[in-house]
Amino acid sequence: MGNAVKKNCLTRINFRWLAGLSLMAIANVCHAADADLVDLMKLLAAAPATEVAFTEKKFSSLLAEPVISSGKLVYRRPDIVEKNIEVPRKENYRFAGDTLLLVRNGTEKKIALSSQPLLSAFAASLRGVLGGDLMLLRNYYQLSLQGALTSWRLDLTPIDEDTSRFVQRITVSGQAGRISQIVVNETSGDRSVLQVR
Amino acid sequence: MANSGFFSRLVTRGAGRSAMALISFAALLLFATKALRIETDFTAFLPPSTTPEERLLIAQLRDGLVSRLMLVALHGADEKTLAVSSRNLADQLGRAPEFEYAANGSFNQSAAQGEVLMKHRYALSPAISEEKFTARGLRVALEEQLAQLASPFGTLSRSIMVRDPTGEFLAIVRQFDSGAMPQLRHGVWFSQDGKRAFLIAQTRAPGFDSERQEQAMSAVKLALAKENSNVNMILTGPGVFAAESRQLIRSDAERLSTLSVLVILTMLVFIYRTALAVVLVVIPVAFGLLIGVLVVNALFGSVHAITLAFAATLIGEAVDYPSYLLLNTAPNEATRVTARRLRMTFTLAVLTTVVSALALTLSNFQGLAQLGVLTMMGVLVAGIATQYLIPWLLGDHVLAFRRLQVPGSNFLDRSRWPSVVAVLVVVAAAAWLMHLYPSWWQRDLAGISPVPPKMRALDAALRQDMGAPEVSMFVASRGGSQEAALQAAESVLPVLDGWQQKKWIRSFDSPAKYLPTLDTQRARLHTLPERVVLEKNLAAALKGLVFRPDAFTPFVDDVAAARVASPVTMASYAGTPLGARLSALVVELDGQWLALTPLGGLSSVGNTQLLAQDLVANAQTNSQVVNLSQVSSDMVDGFRKEALSQAAWGAGLILLLLVVGLRSAKRALRVALPAAAALVLTVAVLVALDARLSVFHLVALLLVLGIGLNYALFFERVALDADERSRTRLALAVCSISTIVTFGFLALSSTPVLHAIGSTVALGAVLALLMSALWARRANVVSVHPNQ
Repeated sequence: MGNAVKKNCLTRINFRWLAGLSLMAIANVCHAADADLVDLMKLLAAAPATEVAFTEKKFSSLLAEPVISSGKLVYRRPDIVEKNIEVPRKENYRFAGDTLLLVRNGTEKKIALSSQPLLSAFAASLRGVLGGDLMLLRNYYQLSLQGALTSWRLDLTPIDEDTSRFVQRITVSGQAGRISQIVVNETSGDRSVLQVR
Repeated sequence: MANSGFFSRLVTRGAGRSAMALISFAALLLFATKALRIETDFTAFLPPSTTPEERLLIAQLRDGLVSRLMLVALHGADEKTLAVSSRNLADQLGRAPEFEYAANGSFNQSAAQGEVLMKHRYALSPAISEEKFTARGLRVALEEQLAQLASPFGTLSRSIMVRDPTGEFLAIVRQFDSGAMPQLRHGVWFSQDGKRAFLIAQTRAPGFDSERQEQAMSAVKLALAKENSNVNMILTGPGVFAAESRQLIRSDAERLSTLSVLVILTMLVFIYRTALAVVLVVIPVAFGLLIGVLVVNALFGSVHAITLAFAATLIGEAVDYPSYLLLNTAPNEATRVTARRLRMTFTLAVLTTVVSALALTLSNFQGLAQLGVLTMMGVLVAGIATQYLIPWLLGDHVLAFRRLQVPGSNFLDRSRWPSVVAVLVVVAAAAWLMHLYPSWWQRDLAGISPVPPKMRALDAALRQDMGAPEVSMFVASRGGSQEAALQAAESVLPVLDGWQQKKWIRSFDSPAKYLPTLDTQRARLHTLPERVVLEKNLAAALKGLVFRPDAFTPFVDDVAAARVASPVTMASYAGTPLGARLSALVVELDGQWLALTPLGGLSSVGNTQLLAQDLVANAQTNSQVVNLSQVSSDMVDGFRKEALSQAAWGAGLILLLLVVGLRSAKRALRVALPAAAALVLTVAVLVALDARLSVFHLVALLLVLGIGLNYALFFERVALDADERSRTRLALAVCSISTIVTFGFLALSSTPVLHAIGSTVALGAVLALLMSALWARRANVVSVHPNQ
């Protein structure tokens, strides 16, 4: 019985009749199945170098309304991630190797990622998802995949106490090899939603 | 029947006397176990301190910040495992009673300290100004915070920003972060290659307290074993050195002295073939040691552990006395007759050693003075015991043992050449040493340290890897009170900033940054506006920003609280790493207060002068640049001069004693010259082998002198016949073999102290024997006329 369910899940794209069930039901039956994660990572890894525009909304109990920023998200293999904010003011974050190069107010600052567990976990989430690196993600997060490969949602729950003190969960959603949204739920209750345009 | 037989045996004179000797020894021993106080402070063996700088150096070595720091390096597992172990270990050690704190760079770890800094940020921040709390100033700060909140760092800064939008906490932390620190991986300190995780633990016990340091070490080992037994660990630091070298010395000394006692006992049994003789040999040494230790205890109030360890050197000489006596007895001769015959030679042998130890006794150097007293008393008592107690115990009993024949060397007896060559070699060696002087003296205090070089190298490597501070150079600011000293330290800050800008130094770590003077704190708090004013300014600044109007209430509350808070004091930091650091940097010494500002990364050594001049140029009269390594080599230099002048006095006295005792300047020279030649050659060989002479060598050389004089005295003694000459040769052979064996074993030790003493004495004994044999030869042949 269990075998049958698993087989169905693995091959569900071929068994369209299952679509009659709700999406959630499928997700519940085969969440975090390793094979699915591997498939998703393959799709993400196959995607070409990315350069996408984004809009990010920061919701916080300190704010009467969310702060909205926008810019470009760049990924170059194997490990370069850039978050270039253009509005409301120019700020560049460039992750390369173990360094974060930060350009803000015209000044440059270099920070070693390994010096701050939170930063390295944050970099790992971006690199892992953009580059389809399952090993890297698992180093920092507990993974839970929901939905179909055509439309999926990946929950990253920090393992490390240094990270979980600040971040409760990161949720990445997308369609096949394309990422559409990254939501960071902070332990404080604050939340940032990054929408790829 | 049996009873009366036993009784009659007991009352025989010999047995009665033996019992009396035994009882008095037991009584002394009992007294010693009650009265003896043993201390282990190694600084007693550092040169005496006279200037305030030297006292500061000694205080720092004993009990300073660096002396209490234990460096822990974890290795042998992957980064993640090491990081986890580092965290748990820091956690456990932080709560252990042996430690003030344990730091590994993690956020968790510094939370309590961060809370103190946060609480007192308005008194501590150097960046504070009235302008910052105006509507305009606050607007700039809030805009910055808004951008920060939306950035990836927003997650981190969120909790702080509502209390501290003007960023005072960061300003404080930034100025502390001036020294080099190890890099962080997984949030804890790691070596560059990621193979070692680092922790620093500050012990409660001072570095010199080797016993409590040992307890602290086992606490660390136990904690790691509980945490993860697969992770390996390296421990270093001054305290660890103290503990480990104590263990090393003890185990080496035990192992090696057991070996040499076994060898010597075997030899004694082989020669005497009677247990009684062996017991007789031990008696003078035992009495000498015991009484010597008791006298030291009475004079100094305690006996240093190292003094006790060096008692071995005393044994080395005192054990020879009974052998000289017993082996010189002719067949069927009562020992008291022999003792009478040898009295003059023997008295001189003892007295010359006493005089050579007198030089030690007069030393300002507490450890050496103790050794001197121990040697003087020990040798004197052993000599008296040999001369009077042994004959008294033996009475008319004739000790029967095999008198081995030791052949004299025909070659030595006939040829002049060996002695000519010897004279030339000695003169050449002396000239060579004079030429090199004083390069062969150990100038570095570290060289006197009993720590094996391998351990020191490991420590240096770890320190470099960690960027751990080495407090060898600092600015000392004085004052009549703690506040006055801090005031002086605070007024130096602009000068230090200047040095840093000019790149004369890389960093400095002033206690005045953690503990600003009361005036400074008051001035800073004075810039804070009243609550109503701040609320008005904040409301104006918030206008047009998306922050909730009440988001910064915690800030307003904190400012209001800071205005009425009591100032930061030493007590505010209790239980934090900064607190421990402060208590080491702000110290009371000789009724004065000192605030020490360690300087890091001096660009060149020549700068000491430059920095000192710059302080004067800036009218910083209460502060002074102190270079501990300079002070320490000055101290060693001073000690060298003192030691040399005392040695010269000692030599003069010995010569005088010999002239008076032998009633002839010529004979006195004949005894003194071989011993002096042996000393010169020993030093020359040691120097040729690349050793640098330290206190320990000096002590050993003194012993060589004593032994050499003994050999020369016995060789020089006018012998009546060939038999007596043969007996003398046997006595000298036995004594020199026992000396060479005992100290040869010590030379095998890996501990620098024991090795230095062992190799010096073993070498010196061989050379002294050789020199005495060469010099004394003609005296023996020529002076057949019985003048004594």
